[in-house]
Amino acid sequence: MSQVIPVEQLKSLTMSIYRYDPSVDEKPYMQDIVIEVPTDKDIMVLDALHLAKDQEPSLSYRRSCREGVCGSDGMNINGKNGLACVTPLSEVVKRNKLTIRPMPGLPVVRDLIVDMKQFFDQLEKVKPYLITNSDNPEIERTQSPEEREELDGLYECILCGCCSTSCPSFWWNPDKFLGPAALLQSWRFIADSRDEATEERLDALEDSFSLYRCHGIMNCVSVCPKGLNPTEAISNIRNKLINREK
Amino acid sequence: MVFDDLRNYNESALNALTKAISTKKVIEKDNRPVNLNLLTINLPIIGLSSILHRISGLAVFICFPLLVWLLSISLESEKRFSDLQNSFQEMVLFKLVIFLIFVGFIYHLLAGVKKLLSEVFGFGETLKSGSLLSWTVFGLTFVMSFMVLFKIFNL
Repeated sequence: MSQVIPVEQLKSLTMSIYRYDPSVDEKPYMQDIVIEVPTDKDIMVLDALHLAKDQEPSLSYRRSCREGVCGSDGMNINGKNGLACVTPLSEVVKRNKLTIRPMPGLPVVRDLIVDMKQFFDQLEKVKPYLITNSDNPEIERTQSPEEREELDGLYECILCGCCSTSCPSFWWNPDKFLGPAALLQSWRFIADSRDEATEERLDALEDSFSLYRCHGIMNCVSVCPKGLNPTEAISNIRNKLINREK
Repeated sequence: MVFDDLRNYNESALNALTKAISTKKVIEKDNRPVNLNLLTINLPIIGLSSILHRISGLAVFICFPLLVWLLSISLESEKRFSDLQNSFQEMVLFKLVIFLIFVGFIYHLLAGVKKLLSEVFGFGETLKSGSLLSWTVFGLTFVMSFMVLFKIFNL
């Protein structure tokens, strides 16, 4: 934002940002920061955060690729989880106000940065990698185009955490319910024609919490910045669990 | 001998220290705030309908003994039955309570059918169809509640 913009093309926007610095603050609080945003073009929420940080250098948030690929800047924007870098202001600003909070349900490390340990612990449980028992083939494990197509809408997940942290079932049982992100990955490997551990994967999901805590609230689908559908993946696993022969 | 005592002492001191540090860590971890103010978090229509399904289920469950009690009164004798009928016709509050239980029951029933549709047949698992289904449940509840309202209040 170093480019100089003529004054008449700017308008002010009030950002209300969740602040918490464990070394100074007893409790988190909301801080209002007024920034000047251009009127002739749309900017992303992440750009707005940079403008706020110019005024308030202690403001902390994660960001890296700034184009919706790394999944670092998941946050709660005007009540809805999303990636700040791919969310334009025009989509979220209401009554000239933009409220930014950290992703719900996870412990806040500082400002908008949350500790994602619980999220990644759950991902680890579904073993998000190919498991094979058969001998390695000479060249590679091949898939037909149709088999590969099964993975569309699953492999694109960038693990930003927006879905799991918008899920009430995950809020109440973050240690027992795997959450939409981990379950989407679980289905990604169950659906993979090359994976040979389907039964073991399904066995691990048989208890009443891991998968069955999903009540179809579908907040995950409504927030996913990649437009994926964890609810559908969960329902696919459920059908497989119910229909398999024991 | 002395060395053994010293070693034991050192070990116990070390254990106490480790315990203190780990306890402190746990406390620090618990002290971290969590952003979970439900009033600030957007709830889409599908989520709202799912949560209302639970609330209405609980409410109807709690009111169920009341209905059983009323039924048992009405079955005691012909006189008790007509007494109950009269008080129902005269007391607006009585009618209102029965009406509200009906609304909760209708909503819970329809939302349950919706849940069955999505779990058994996979209906409403996209954002669009799910929202449509939720709106349909709300709409039908509204219409059926009005029908009950007309019936109960003899409008």
